[in-house]
Amino acid sequence: MSARRDFLWRIGGGLGGLAMADLFAREAFGDDAAKPRPEFNGGLHHPAKVKRVIQLFMTGGVSQMDTYDYKPALAKLHGQKLGPTEKPEGFTGMPGTMMKSPFEFRQHGQSGRWVSSVFPEQAKLVDELAFLMAMTSKTNVHGPATYMMNSGMLLPGFPCLGAWVSYGLGRLTDNLPQFVVLPDARGLPYNQNGPFSAGFLPAVHQGTILNAGAPELVPDLFAREKFRFASRAADRDGLALLDQLNRAHAKTNAGDSRLDARIASYELAAKMQLSAPEAFDLAKETEVTRKAYGLENKVTEDFGRRCLLARRLIERGTRFVQVWSGPQGAVNNWDNHGNIPNELPPMAASVDQPIATLLRDLKSRGLLADTLVVWTTEFGRTPFAQGNVGRDHNGGTFVTWLAGAGIKPGVSVGQSDEWGYQAAEGKTYCYDLHATILHLMGIDHERLTVRHSGLDRRLTDVHGAVVKEVLL
Amino acid sequence: MLVALVLLGARAGAVEFDAVFKDRVLPLLAKHCHECHSHAAKKSKNGLVLDSATAILTGGEAGPAIVPGDPEKSLLLKAVRHTNPDLQMPPKGKAKLSEAEIAVLVEWVKQVQPLKEAAGRAGLDWWSLKPLVRPAVPSGAVSGQRSAVSNPIDTFIAAKLREKKLSPSPEADARTLIRRLHFDLIGLPPSPAEVEAFAGEFQIGNRQWAIGKLADRLLASPRHGERWARHWLDTIHFADTHGFEHDIFRTNAWRYRDYVISALNRDVPWQRFIREQLAADVFYPAEPQLTAALGFLGAGPLDTSTQSTAPRTFDYMDRDDLVTQTMSAFASTTAHCARCHAHKFDPIPQEDYYALQAVFAGITKSDVPFDEAAETGLQRRHWQGLVAAADAKNSAVLLTPENEPLVTRWEGVHGKTAGTEWLSLALDSFLSSDGSTLKREADGSVSAGGTRPERDTYTVTATTTFTSVTALRLEVLRDEKLPMKGPGRQDNGNLHLSEVEVRLLGAGSTNATRLKVKRATADFDQAGWTIQHALDGNEKTAWGIHPRVGESHLAVFEFESPVKLAAGARLVVALKQLHGGGHLIGRFRLSATDSPNANSETAPPLVAAGLKLSCEQRTAEQRLAIAAHALRQHAQAELAKLPAPAQVFAVKAGMEPKPVHVLKRGDIAKPGQRAEPGALSALADLPARFVGTKREADRRVALADWLADPLNPLTWRSAANRVWHFHFGRGLCDTPSDFGRMGSLPSHPELLDWLACELRDSGGSLKHLHRLIVTSAAYRQSSKVEELKSGRVEGGGQPTSRAPFNSSLLHPVNPSTPSASDPDNRLLWRMNRSRLDAESFRDAVLAVSGRLDLTLGGPGAQHFQLSKGPQATPKVDYTPFDWDSPGAGRRSIYRVVWRGIADPFMEALDFPDAALLQPTRPFSASALQALTLFNNDFVLRHSEHFAARVEQLGTDTPSRVKAAVRLAFQRAATPEEVRAMTAYADQHGLRALGRVLFNSNEFLFIN
Repeated sequence: MSARRDFLWRIGGGLGGLAMADLFAREAFGDDAAKPRPEFNGGLHHPAKVKRVIQLFMTGGVSQMDTYDYKPALAKLHGQKLGPTEKPEGFTGMPGTMMKSPFEFRQHGQSGRWVSSVFPEQAKLVDELAFLMAMTSKTNVHGPATYMMNSGMLLPGFPCLGAWVSYGLGRLTDNLPQFVVLPDARGLPYNQNGPFSAGFLPAVHQGTILNAGAPELVPDLFAREKFRFASRAADRDGLALLDQLNRAHAKTNAGDSRLDARIASYELAAKMQLSAPEAFDLAKETEVTRKAYGLENKVTEDFGRRCLLARRLIERGTRFVQVWSGPQGAVNNWDNHGNIPNELPPMAASVDQPIATLLRDLKSRGLLADTLVVWTTEFGRTPFAQGNVGRDHNGGTFVTWLAGAGIKPGVSVGQSDEWGYQAAEGKTYCYDLHATILHLMGIDHERLTVRHSGLDRRLTDVHGAVVKEVLL
Repeated sequence: MLVALVLLGARAGAVEFDAVFKDRVLPLLAKHCHECHSHAAKKSKNGLVLDSATAILTGGEAGPAIVPGDPEKSLLLKAVRHTNPDLQMPPKGKAKLSEAEIAVLVEWVKQVQPLKEAAGRAGLDWWSLKPLVRPAVPSGAVSGQRSAVSNPIDTFIAAKLREKKLSPSPEADARTLIRRLHFDLIGLPPSPAEVEAFAGEFQIGNRQWAIGKLADRLLASPRHGERWARHWLDTIHFADTHGFEHDIFRTNAWRYRDYVISALNRDVPWQRFIREQLAADVFYPAEPQLTAALGFLGAGPLDTSTQSTAPRTFDYMDRDDLVTQTMSAFASTTAHCARCHAHKFDPIPQEDYYALQAVFAGITKSDVPFDEAAETGLQRRHWQGLVAAADAKNSAVLLTPENEPLVTRWEGVHGKTAGTEWLSLALDSFLSSDGSTLKREADGSVSAGGTRPERDTYTVTATTTFTSVTALRLEVLRDEKLPMKGPGRQDNGNLHLSEVEVRLLGAGSTNATRLKVKRATADFDQAGWTIQHALDGNEKTAWGIHPRVGESHLAVFEFESPVKLAAGARLVVALKQLHGGGHLIGRFRLSATDSPNANSETAPPLVAAGLKLSCEQRTAEQRLAIAAHALRQHAQAELAKLPAPAQVFAVKAGMEPKPVHVLKRGDIAKPGQRAEPGALSALADLPARFVGTKREADRRVALADWLADPLNPLTWRSAANRVWHFHFGRGLCDTPSDFGRMGSLPSHPELLDWLACELRDSGGSLKHLHRLIVTSAAYRQSSKVEELKSGRVEGGGQPTSRAPFNSSLLHPVNPSTPSASDPDNRLLWRMNRSRLDAESFRDAVLAVSGRLDLTLGGPGAQHFQLSKGPQATPKVDYTPFDWDSPGAGRRSIYRVVWRGIADPFMEALDFPDAALLQPTRPFSASALQALTLFNNDFVLRHSEHFAARVEQLGTDTPSRVKAAVRLAFQRAATPEEVRAMTAYADQHGLRALGRVLFNSNEFLFIN
């Protein structure tokens, strides 16, 4: 970062000019290393295949052996006491007896991928997906595990993937926020806004939270109605007057790019006011589309609406959209401690059709040519029962899939052990997933660094290798 | 570990830097290896750098890269020869070294000398670690200053400017200066009257005097602490909630925030500020209100998994956070970078890091009670001391002339009733319901042994010689055989008596009558576990005696009316102990009395016996027992009268330190040697390890002393630099929490040292430093870039001040102008312009719209609505807040900062993520920021208040516009502004104009 910072100091002649990267990303950057390059299709270090990302995050820890990781051995071992005899760190209870999946598994597609009956729609698309079958977390606790999958660190305060991408690549459009987070209408994920933090990166790179269910999707996009004086006419004339005052001020205080940055920010704000309502307006979609995303079904409505919104945002130039399934807490998410047969199917049903529709829709619109879709969660669950029919946290192995630009469809990397308890081969960490995503976006994960508190920090810490097997 | 210190060793003589290395080895390493293994590339793959002989000998995670004199055993040679398929360097896809190149390496390795121990100090050759010696103030005049130089700061600045042939900027005007000082020192704008008064003094009088007077006024204002406390709270990532997965509200964290405000207002010396925050409990026991300072250690995030599902991991991470926070904040050192391996760039071995972890190994974060008034604390300590003395039967404390009247008075009131005669019951039978082995002892008591069930009920059937019984006494007795010497059987010596039931069984009868107990008293009740719980009919509640284990206790149960005992009648006593966990009575004795006065002060037998005698007849033992009993009761009554203690979220003191080990690669599963408490070994003048600090508090004390020592160069440089940073917007070292090799070099090292000495030698006064700085000519300069001030006009003759922001890049400018030769203004040829931080913006809006509420201190203002969330974290909604509600106008420092769900309004103005130590505030500008400032309820509602205020200040729109500008910008409006704003206000109202002013750069920036 130092070269970039030095440059901004030079043009800023003032304080912390770094953050202006947001507004001046496409201005003359003195620092080649950090500049998105047209000959790299907007990548930093090599040609980018992916320009935008939709990340689908299943909060709570999806049970891998009840969805994508078929473990026939569990049927044979069902009811036997084979697990650890002491409670591992982060387990909420003592491991119980081995528990087979209550769901039927079948093979699908050319790739013959096993998928359980809870994902009938995604099962039809397995040939489009590339699976990481042995992802691993360093913790069995939701909070730090959620941080890990987002920022690569167990502790709060570090920038998440979306923030790094925003910082590294800049904007595709002036009209919309570039990193958007769509939390479950029922609440925020673990760590609240922590997983969308820009950490030590400038605040402009943090996720903009859109409350898809709320009356005001973006607070403060417009003045509230109770402030009658803030009419559209007063806005328009007010912005003109403000511009006039600011330009006069900048003239007598020449040579400070921050003043110009703020002048420009109001121009961008006006653009966003024009564009955002249109982008957010799902009524613009056809009946067929709305139905396909599940907007007319109570089960799928919330997640479907957010998938559709994600597609509209991506289509209009938002760089990174995160769609969360499930809030933090004991219910309405994938943290099925108590009862897998009862708790998992409704969660699966709430996302299955919207996800399948999203993939088909992106493809049919040609967006998948430069869009990456990632489906993930913070960790997996135990092959041992918790209580009678629940499963506990398990960072040992879990499943992630990727689809879209640059991804080799129908492949899978790694596998878990016979029980689905630990990763057995081809183990991948969040570092590898993040390195792969950055790689697809034209970023060398080892070269996108920011110095903070004595270290050149990067998303992948001191780890990470691009998972070449899933790349085209 | 000494060798690790030489990682960056460059001092001549530390290692043999022979010509072969420089001329032949280094170039080929540069060619093949440095891309991934060098400081130049800032890469040290697997911990290995290969750019000096020392570094090569030190090696990386796999060990030293070479073995001196033995090429065959050297990893580096194995790697480049590709003899091992798992260790082939350079990696796949890169060219292998030629045989000739490998031969060069072999020859060099044969000759190279092993590292010398003395080389271990080489890494210490670094500016921030050098002893702090007061530099001589440079001589020479300061150009541009009319009077003789009076402020040493300016001679240091002038010396550097002279070197670069630069001259300082002229002094800013009065309005700019008062605005600058106000926002800087108190975080609020001056009122128009204050501007006018200051301008008058500044124009006609002695400017130095006027500025000094202004600085004194502002530094004396309580607003000063409110402003500067925020800087410190940023630096140490303070917030009002846990953050992390369960983001729980710390309702008592604000006490620490108030402490910081007060400490800065009182100008508490810096060394004392350190000691108060790390160990006020030990350093200043007579000032209990300082307990709030310990909130420093409770400032950061906390994952509650520490207390539940993952205690090992999160204890470790919590300690890591404490090490990081403490060393960053006080010493500007990145000790946390040595968690997995020796610090890659600074002389900090892993052992130092774990020594620091060991300092905090006994710390548990929680609410801690304390007395706000020193007098209350004094009394509490006095009475607690007396209780402790009574427990210990300490005659030296108890039998003093001071206490004698208390004992006499107690005896006058209670002496008679305490003399009740008790007789042990004669036991017929005793049964355990759940398998304890009960045994009769010689003294008439019953002891419990054998297996220890979870729960039990003892049922005792007994007789007494009394014909009428007024009360029953249960003694639970100390016994050497019991855990902690009893009287309970639980591992901690405690017991839980859930219910006591007493029945009367007539001779030959099988129908027992339940006897009603009207009152129960005990000599001691565990907090929350009083003897009343043994009578409340609720089996979930119970009587307990923790923490006063290892001593006998007793409880007396008075019957509603005297119980008549016919011949052969028996008492059946059931002692239900149903709490679980083996909280059972270990040894007990039951007695009865017929005394009508058995309303029981529960005097122990020794006391009761003594009280029957006259003073002269009593034995020394009885006298002591009576004094102890009387004084304990008196002290407990006095304690009950004291005001309830306040609480602060801080650290629970006095916990047993947990063992801390040096972890290989920072892996909790790979503990190495035990770590001793200590700090950095790099400071030769100070102890690296805190020998003999067994107690948790002693370790904090030792670290505080280590940090506060006048010989600690890091501490004083760190504090002086932070002060400079907040005045100038940029530190002399512009990485204020990192003075290591990954940080920046100071622009004026001598000035920094001089300021550090000034701080240290002035007794640690920050206000002394503030005054020095804000009265300096450097601080008083204009912030404007005057391209033409050198008097020369560049090529085309066009004044570049009219050019756009990046003109200096697009057009070559005259190299002798300051903006060309020092565009960053590192040498301070002008003042830095700064943008208001989130708090100052918000407070300024409140101030100019007449809504500022200057109430000092107290619980935080919540600018949000709370509702129940899915789990422990509530939903926090900032949108519905009513800005006219009481307390809404309080200064921003008094906001509740919800760590995980920050106020989006404050975030828009770069309020930092409070999970993060934030020694500097960043600047950003974005569309979302603009939308927030333009449309947020706070700004709009205060635009209305502002308009209402301005309405009163004028008679027509132009006069009101003038008043508005004077309030908002602290200057007179230009005619052009009056014209434009009047037109706008006439059409859209003054409220709409207020909104525009609050969004303007002139409002947001301080020149």
